[in-house]
Amino acid sequence: MLVLLAAIFLLHIACICLLLAATIHNAWWMSNTMSTDIWSRWMLNGGTWNYTEIPDHYPKEYLQAVQASSVLACIFCILGLFVFVAQLYTLPKGKRFLFTGAFQLLAWLCIMIAASIYTDIFHKDKEQGWYGASFILAWISVCLTFISCITYFILRKKTA
Amino acid sequence: MLSVLALTSVVLLGIASQTTAIVVYTSWERHALVGTDVRLSCSFFSWKWTSPDVTFSWHYRSDGARDSIAIFHYTGGVPYVDNKGPFRDRLEFVGNPSRRDGSILIKNVDIADNGTFTCDAKNPPDIAGSPSNVRLLVFENVPVQAGVITGAIIGVVLGLLILIVAIYYLMRFLVARRVFSLSMSKHGKKGKGKEGSQQKQALAVTDPAKLKAAASEKKKQESRREKK
Repeated sequence: MLVLLAAIFLLHIACICLLLAATIHNAWWMSNTMSTDIWSRWMLNGGTWNYTEIPDHYPKEYLQAVQASSVLACIFCILGLFVFVAQLYTLPKGKRFLFTGAFQLLAWLCIMIAASIYTDIFHKDKEQGWYGASFILAWISVCLTFISCITYFILRKKTA
Repeated sequence: MLSVLALTSVVLLGIASQTTAIVVYTSWERHALVGTDVRLSCSFFSWKWTSPDVTFSWHYRSDGARDSIAIFHYTGGVPYVDNKGPFRDRLEFVGNPSRRDGSILIKNVDIADNGTFTCDAKNPPDIAGSPSNVRLLVFENVPVQAGVITGAIIGVVLGLLILIVAIYYLMRFLVARRVFSLSMSKHGKKGKGKEGSQQKQALAVTDPAKLKAAASEKKKQESRREKK
């Protein structure tokens, strides 16, 4: 039983780490000389990486929507961790971790919105480059948060 | 003491009025949409009284040009507006020189009007001073400021979440109180011996969740008594 608890806890922490990495690291789209999105662009100029702004032709409203949803996903996932620990101590026996599951559900929803908007709106023209690490982590977090959310909805507190 | 202070301030004022020059004030930057009117304000500070020979002059340097052209001049109480350059028929003097205001109005701005406007004011005998620049930025559509939408979305969602959680706990609290008051009134009417201990039990309970459990326990006890 303790092993199960540790595994679920580790899954939740892994979700948080992946979400934070996807949100903070500017690597949703990469090329040989560029690592960009969602906050700024890193350009490789003669051996050094320079921190530049995202160009103006980006659809600004969609970019800000992606920023907002990925930040919200991180917030909900972290809050979910605290709620989980609180529910471990206060939930009556035999009950489900619904509150924690609700937070994970919200986190899943937000990161799915962010990843979907980014996939569908940005880099549709045949630019040079490929999807970077943060993009892949964002989609992996979609799966992991969903698994975590289902786990909390099914899991029951150990009866005496 | 007061007379000494007054004397020093008068002396300092006298010195200052001779050493400080005229200071011209304009905005730093003006933003406008294509097709709107823009008012470029210009004012000055001078220790001398506003002279009837006060002059205002505006120059314009386009965003790619090296030289600036004169577009407006006010002297001898008469404003002279540019009628040959890029602002012909679009420039209007809306200032009040006696109140030290030398503002101009540019009507129907265009993308080509992007540039730096320089206002120079002279208030004889106070003529030493440097002119002030104002940049005009003309936009096709209003650009979204960085982070406004992001902040708004995050704020609204978190606010809604806090509101929902607060309402949920409020509803639970109200329902538990209603159950508590109902059970109290029921036992008060019957007034039997066992109710004393049950009432004490009810009073000791404060948590709404335990209250629900206690209410259900009381119902079980009542049903057991009814069975007996």
